[in-house]
Amino acid sequence: MPYFDHSASTPINPEVLEFMSSIHRDIYGNPSSIHTHGRKARSIIEKAREQVAKSIGANPNHIIFTSGGSESNNQVLWSRLKKRKNHIISTKIEHPAILNVLKSLEKLGISHNCISVDKDGIIDINEYENSIHKMVGLISVMLASNEVGSVQPLKNIVEIAKKKSIPVHTDAVQCLGKIPIDVNELGVDALSLSGHKFYGPKGSGILYIRNKKFISPFIIGGGQENGLRAGTENIALIAGMGLAAEIATSNLSVKAKHLKNLENQFKNGLKIFFPDAVFNGHQIQKLPGLLSVSFPGFKSDILMAKLDRAGMAVSNGSACGSGIVRLSDTLKSMGINNGLNKSTIRISFGITNNSNEISNLLSVINSILNI
Amino acid sequence: MEHVIIALSGGVDSAVAAALIVEQGYSAEGLFMKNWEEDNDYCTSDKDYKDALQVCDLIGIPLRSVDFSTEYWNKVFKHFLDEYKIGRTPNPDILCNTEIKFNTFLKYAIELGADKIATGHYAQLFRNSKSIDLGRGIDQNKDQSYFLYGLNQKQLSKTIFPIGKMEKTSVREKAKELGFNNYSKKDSTGICFIGERHFKEFLGHYLPAQPGNIILKDGEIIGKHDGLMYYTIGQRQGLRIGGGYGTSEKPWYVLDKDMEKNNLIVCQGNDNPYLYHRFLSCSKINWISGEIPNSEKITAKIRYRGNDTICKINFTSEKSVSVEFKKPQFAIAPGQSIVFYEKDICLGGAIIDSRWN
Repeated sequence: MPYFDHSASTPINPEVLEFMSSIHRDIYGNPSSIHTHGRKARSIIEKAREQVAKSIGANPNHIIFTSGGSESNNQVLWSRLKKRKNHIISTKIEHPAILNVLKSLEKLGISHNCISVDKDGIIDINEYENSIHKMVGLISVMLASNEVGSVQPLKNIVEIAKKKSIPVHTDAVQCLGKIPIDVNELGVDALSLSGHKFYGPKGSGILYIRNKKFISPFIIGGGQENGLRAGTENIALIAGMGLAAEIATSNLSVKAKHLKNLENQFKNGLKIFFPDAVFNGHQIQKLPGLLSVSFPGFKSDILMAKLDRAGMAVSNGSACGSGIVRLSDTLKSMGINNGLNKSTIRISFGITNNSNEISNLLSVINSILNI
Repeated sequence: MEHVIIALSGGVDSAVAAALIVEQGYSAEGLFMKNWEEDNDYCTSDKDYKDALQVCDLIGIPLRSVDFSTEYWNKVFKHFLDEYKIGRTPNPDILCNTEIKFNTFLKYAIELGADKIATGHYAQLFRNSKSIDLGRGIDQNKDQSYFLYGLNQKQLSKTIFPIGKMEKTSVREKAKELGFNNYSKKDSTGICFIGERHFKEFLGHYLPAQPGNIILKDGEIIGKHDGLMYYTIGQRQGLRIGGGYGTSEKPWYVLDKDMEKNNLIVCQGNDNPYLYHRFLSCSKINWISGEIPNSEKITAKIRYRGNDTICKINFTSEKSVSVEFKKPQFAIAPGQSIVFYEKDICLGGAIIDSRWN
């Protein structure tokens, strides 16, 4: 079944799966044990830490393994509890794993403000700069939008924050394997990643943290992960994610080019038979392969259902547990009207997609739009 | 092959309806509908959806979801509140059928590519040469034709009621056989969207309650009420009229509401003649066939759980009629629906406006 929803999750790389199965089968020692089995498990984890660190240009000592992007985001934000500087600056288009945490923190005395974005989904730098004050203890801005793919000017954001010595966290969950990520070049203090977004396993995540003092543990116990995330490590998932990170970032420019080609093929093909299509988000400063497309006059849930019936997986808005589609807050923040919002689907290509699949997708969309 | 979209609620009736549609060889899909916005920020994947999903997985059909809470609010709930405001007792489940399930939902399903929709109602359809008749469900205790009187021929022509020929017990048995988790799920009672909530509290949340006096027909004040909207004509419980009043130990009943003076008028005993009327007038009439029936043997029900009673319809105008009952009827309540039958065929119905003797 042709799959075009890689921003939701990716199929696991077969090599990664193979590697994980062998670990599940053979490596059963506790990484904290000092016998041979334990040491084997430990070295597998540390190898993965190096692979992950290398994929984002980080020092391995600054990598914590978590259960996913949501946990990584949560840990950074919740660590603000009981800190003197009790204000957080974020943006209106963050993932719920940021926005809903901010709402919860509000009740515990940690305030926040969310910066607006322009029609392309890029944050308003002036508003950002002007909202900085002496009680701001953290800035959290996503590297690229999960809904429209616009890439934020993070270097610029960090530079401004640095002048006031405010740490910056970025949710980069959508980015690994699509654009180069270098924590030193970006200058960020914390960064979240999720294994299943780059052909690794679900339930695995990364928190890059430049300075340990900056965060507190969520899970307290045997002191694993430098005392910042207790619990016996899930060796197979960690190892799988390490390998997936290495594969995703090797020959990155070739992979990104492939995604960009698929994206262009789709855009150009769609314009031929449906010139009214609106592509949302910044069309240059963006993640390759992720498209937010509005079909004026059509309802996204009907389009999705028909694509699903034809065996094509795409997504729309932010579907809830019970599959109810709501208006996208990201699109709203970009000033997109409700009518267009309701007619928007997200198509996200992956490295295993090919040109034939895009042609098929286009012809299915063509027939759906013409009924 | 006809494509059928089944309205799945997560309950056992629609689940078995879906299974039957699949067994009958239709190409099928389930559609889960949300009509009420819960008051929390997070989107919850509720139990009903999970039950519907389990059913779809077992019978091998896809499940889709749609949110009609805005439509429900505008087309059903607003009217529901308006009726309460003027002291009437509306039946939102009837409006939900005509406005949501067999209108908004039906249109959406057609947009999704359906030829027909199926629901888990206990009712039957008889497709004749010139029209489609709506028949009562076989299970006399579960028959839901009363709630469907507002439908028209066009709606019925797009509808299948797969379980109308089944008894509730066999519906549950079939659900159990098929391994559905919801096979023993409790029947929903009362107004669908309120669910298990306390009705009084729910209504008070939307409408201001004005406490007033409980009086007898001659004007004597015998107690206090919490707000007229909380009471229904014929209601017996919850009047909290203490001892000392009345001529006997017989229970008290709501006889009428005086909206102008905010008085609740009560009387004693369910055999009290004031509670019985032989005539009523009604409006917003719908005939399912699209034509005025010319039958001489019409019966009517003035409430869902009521009995069929022989009656005569007098047409005062095209839109409103008066109805004469052979025997006086207990507690005819304005706002409720009167539904007409000829034997086991539901002919149509209307909203009750007033009653007299």
